[in-house]
Amino acid sequence: MRYVKVLIVIALGIIWTKVSFPSNRLTPEEIVRACYANFYYAGEDMQAKVLMELINKVGQKRIRELTMLRKDYADGGNQKYYMYFHRPADVKDTTFMVYKYPERNDDRWLFLPSLDLVKRIDSNDKFSSFVGSDFTYEDISGRKPQEDSHTMLKKEMINNRTCFVIESLPKETSEYTKRVSWIDEANFLPIKEEFYDRQNELYRIFEALEIKDIDGIQTITKRMMKNVKTGHRTEVTFQEVKYNLSITDDIFTERYLRKAPQQWLKE
Amino acid sequence: MKGALVIAVVILSIYALPAQAAELAQWHGFVEQDYGGRISRDQLTKHQDYNMLEQRVQLKTRYGIPGENLLSRWNSVVTYKGDFLLDEYFDTTGSYELREFNLAFNPTMMMDIKVGRQVLTWGTGDYLFINDLFPKDYVSFYIGRDDEYLKKPSDALRISLYPKAVNIDFALIPHFTPNTMPEGDRLSFFDSFQGGIAGRASERNAVKPAWQAENMQYALRFYRTFGSTEGALYYYRGFDPLPRSYLDEANRQLFYERLDAYGASVRGPFAGGIGNAEMGYYRSRQDAEGNNRLIENSMLKWLIGYEKDMGNDFKVGAQYLFEQKLNYAAYKEALLSSDYFWDEYRHLLTQRITKLYKNQTVMVGLFNFWSPSDKDGYVRASCAYDITDQWKLTFGVNIPWGEDSITDFGMMKKNKNAFVRVRYSF
Repeated sequence: MRYVKVLIVIALGIIWTKVSFPSNRLTPEEIVRACYANFYYAGEDMQAKVLMELINKVGQKRIRELTMLRKDYADGGNQKYYMYFHRPADVKDTTFMVYKYPERNDDRWLFLPSLDLVKRIDSNDKFSSFVGSDFTYEDISGRKPQEDSHTMLKKEMINNRTCFVIESLPKETSEYTKRVSWIDEANFLPIKEEFYDRQNELYRIFEALEIKDIDGIQTITKRMMKNVKTGHRTEVTFQEVKYNLSITDDIFTERYLRKAPQQWLKE
Repeated sequence: MKGALVIAVVILSIYALPAQAAELAQWHGFVEQDYGGRISRDQLTKHQDYNMLEQRVQLKTRYGIPGENLLSRWNSVVTYKGDFLLDEYFDTTGSYELREFNLAFNPTMMMDIKVGRQVLTWGTGDYLFINDLFPKDYVSFYIGRDDEYLKKPSDALRISLYPKAVNIDFALIPHFTPNTMPEGDRLSFFDSFQGGIAGRASERNAVKPAWQAENMQYALRFYRTFGSTEGALYYYRGFDPLPRSYLDEANRQLFYERLDAYGASVRGPFAGGIGNAEMGYYRSRQDAEGNNRLIENSMLKWLIGYEKDMGNDFKVGAQYLFEQKLNYAAYKEALLSSDYFWDEYRHLLTQRITKLYKNQTVMVGLFNFWSPSDKDGYVRASCAYDITDQWKLTFGVNIPWGEDSITDFGMMKKNKNAFVRVRYSF
């Protein structure tokens, strides 16, 4: 039964991306919404081993390696994330859990194994850096399309892909004042994004460096965020990605925060 | 020198472990050098200029039991963590502390078991503990060791149950471990037998409960979430982790009186941050009426706290703790005129500020305790720099202060220090 369901989901996904978006007639809002869904809500759930390389301007590298589990409760709606850190050594075995709600602040918990301590983490600041990388929490879990107003600038070929180029201006004060996104016409994934600050100067650039088909889902497996003002950049590789694994709800509870779920975390 | 040699041998032996052992599990840990210099000389202690000089090697591993046997089907994991410590303050040749060695498994969908040496923590306070009566090491806290060393491990059987309505944690601790408190050699403190702040001259000793069935400790927690808010109820039956009662005054003997604790807590989003509230009722079983001057009275404790992320990696937090000694009239009545006595109420405020810089590689933190009723406090400031993923440099200060010598922080006022730690993690 499960496989039938999975097949239906995949089939619907293919039909949805291939058929229901005769690209030219789409509004910029629809394109950004499709991008949000394909990038942040791919599959019903996901498991990935994520390697983050934090590289400063002189090339010094720091490593953050984690296993991430994600489960969606509604497309564009509630999600739960579970993260287990493998590296570096001083944070190994630390776990982190997020309940994401589109309409209000996330709930976040951090478990520090050496103290056996479950900490509640305030999520008021969506723009703080995720584990010291150039990605913010909002970059990791997604920004709701309706928080910006979107304008189509043009269509452009980059990296051999035809992209919609869309300018997004925040409706309320945000970390950036303008974002320009290149969204692939074929799979609605963000190929490139530019973030502009209050001086209207470019300060961060996102790039999708590798896209693979995983279980029928187009997935960005390598990405980079570069802060052009500091020269610091973060390269992220999704080493093992699996979708639609029927991850159970109980994984996202204090129980597994304290005792990492062995079945999902092979070294 | 001896220290460096032992550390070298330990590291070499890790790398020389047979390949098979290496395949079984990954070893991690760190090597650390610590120094804590006194801000003002303390004539009372063993060394007058410093209170920490040590080298430490920690090794840890986790090993998931493989195969098709029962233990592997139960997702069994063995955790080991041990510290080799060369404490040059006491000129020791080296000591070994087993911090964790336990087996964790889930025999049914609804149950986890963890048996062996483990660190136990619950409750909502930040450096303040009401319902967490598990052992702590305040000597480590005051001399500037890593926060990890504030918590001492317990030898325990922990059973966790996960029925739909409420989660249950039950810990059975057969052997009592008290808090590690200043004893005078390293940190001077208030010793009522000496009539003031005492160092090496202190001769008091604390008698631990014997290892027998009736001295078994139990800790219980029920918890669940209500939307985004977490609620918990706590029960503890055991002993006061501090030796607050007198066994034999003539022989300068203290003891850990029997204690039951009942408590509750909530924690969740509040006013744009995270709020928490916790209470606990401590029932002193050997002096429930409060009229024995030698045994600590029952107490009531309340805590509220708040933490907020201000943006730009800047976080602030504040707490208020209120403690009330119960049956205070009976306590006062029973006191002798020569006795030291403690107030009925204690108010304690704390404040925490944390700011991160340079892609979160530099952390500057300030934690303040301040008691307007005891007229004392304790400033903990530190700065940590992650030079690389392996190397970490931490320095900071510990400044306890107070008008009187008998209050919690006031008695520590001669122990101000500035410390530095260098750690290599692997």
